[in-house]
Amino acid sequence: MKNRITLLALFCGLMFSCISASAQCDSIATTCAKRNLDPSFISDGQQYRALLVNADETAEFHVTFYGGTVYRLAACSGMTDGNLIFTIYDSQRNILFTNGQYQNAPFWDFAVKSTVDCIIDAQLNPTTNAGSGCAVILIGFKQQ
Amino acid sequence: MLQMKKNFLATVCGVVITVLFLAGCKNSGQNNEKALQPTTPKVDSNNATLLKINNQIFSIPSPIQTALLIKKSGYAYNKQILNPSDNYSKYDTKFKKALNLGLYGADLGYISLYDQTQDALLYLASIEKLATDIGVSDMFNAGLVKRFQQNMGKQDSLLSMVSEAFTRSDAYFKDNKQNDISSLVLVGGWVESLYFAVQASTNPQANQKDVIRRIAEQKISLQNLVKMLQPYNNRPEYAQLIKDLTSLSDIFEHVEFVYNYVPPTVDVKNKITNINSTSDVKFETDGVLKMISDKIVAIRNQIAG
Repeated sequence: MKNRITLLALFCGLMFSCISASAQCDSIATTCAKRNLDPSFISDGQQYRALLVNADETAEFHVTFYGGTVYRLAACSGMTDGNLIFTIYDSQRNILFTNGQYQNAPFWDFAVKSTVDCIIDAQLNPTTNAGSGCAVILIGFKQQ
Repeated sequence: MLQMKKNFLATVCGVVITVLFLAGCKNSGQNNEKALQPTTPKVDSNNATLLKINNQIFSIPSPIQTALLIKKSGYAYNKQILNPSDNYSKYDTKFKKALNLGLYGADLGYISLYDQTQDALLYLASIEKLATDIGVSDMFNAGLVKRFQQNMGKQDSLLSMVSEAFTRSDAYFKDNKQNDISSLVLVGGWVESLYFAVQASTNPQANQKDVIRRIAEQKISLQNLVKMLQPYNNRPEYAQLIKDLTSLSDIFEHVEFVYNYVPPTVDVKNKITNINSTSDVKFETDGVLKMISDKIVAIRNQIAG
């Protein structure tokens, strides 16, 4: 009987943490958009999310940036700025940008001259994240 | 002894359920491309360990971006290229409804760019019906219609509203482990925007060069779409769609994407980086564009019914 109660409590606890992780992602995405996605940028219609277990794990986002467009990337984890480090690589794995060089800035703009296919790697900031976290990336655009 | 066995079994079951549950929890909100991804760690240029197991996420460019290019290229509004707004009643499965929600979303973006008030309201009504049927009525409710009416003529506001509604739907599907439906909406929007581009590419009134280039640039996005759908390949409707898109992707293999890396420049004060790399696209033969166009028209008409 005692075992069953323990298992039930464990299961309920896990279910709660899973639901709260999803709710956490939702809150982060909403706050991230309000703070960092200026209204002059049109959202690309998607929310990119990944649950990262620790700061060693990397989420990989595959993105095409069209030429003649200015993009804004907003990157958040948690409710404060600077928790997510993102790096943009081109298809040849050249680094085009990393917010790690700019105090983990939660947003940055990119004026794209010619269409490029990119990979964005996102990692939790090891100095502010002891455990897991939800990584959210939002992309907005406007014509140049 | 019997009681001990029962306790042991209960504990084992509990551990198994817990492990399975944690695995499901970890996958929630992500694209489920487990079958496609290499399980061996890959080392990037910084020698940091990159675990490519279940964390690859594919972005599909907004259909509004291609609609913007078409308008900028001088192409006049043409209602004939849209999926008729009363077609919504023909879509009788969740699969078709999700795909056509994507189609109608792209149509609404296109209509909004050209300030066609009456058409916009017609398409909003069709979108609301499909959205209700697939469980995202909150994102396309009467409130949105009202705000749309209040902002007629304000192109940027209208485009933002359309995009925001689709972003919220995307989040809802991902929250509720309906990545399959989320993918279908994206496929629908992508197919419709490429269909617009194909129509514009044959119209001498438009600046065809930019539009044709945009068509060619879809090579990687199409590969990403196929990867997004692959986990659902065991369902007949998805299998056919994947087959059609793969066949289109095969034609795109005759398009060469030439990329030249140029170091970016950064304006720290304004938080902007100029991506200076250049790219170009080349069709192997003159017939490739026609083959892509024919295939896209066939796929789009198959979806629209």
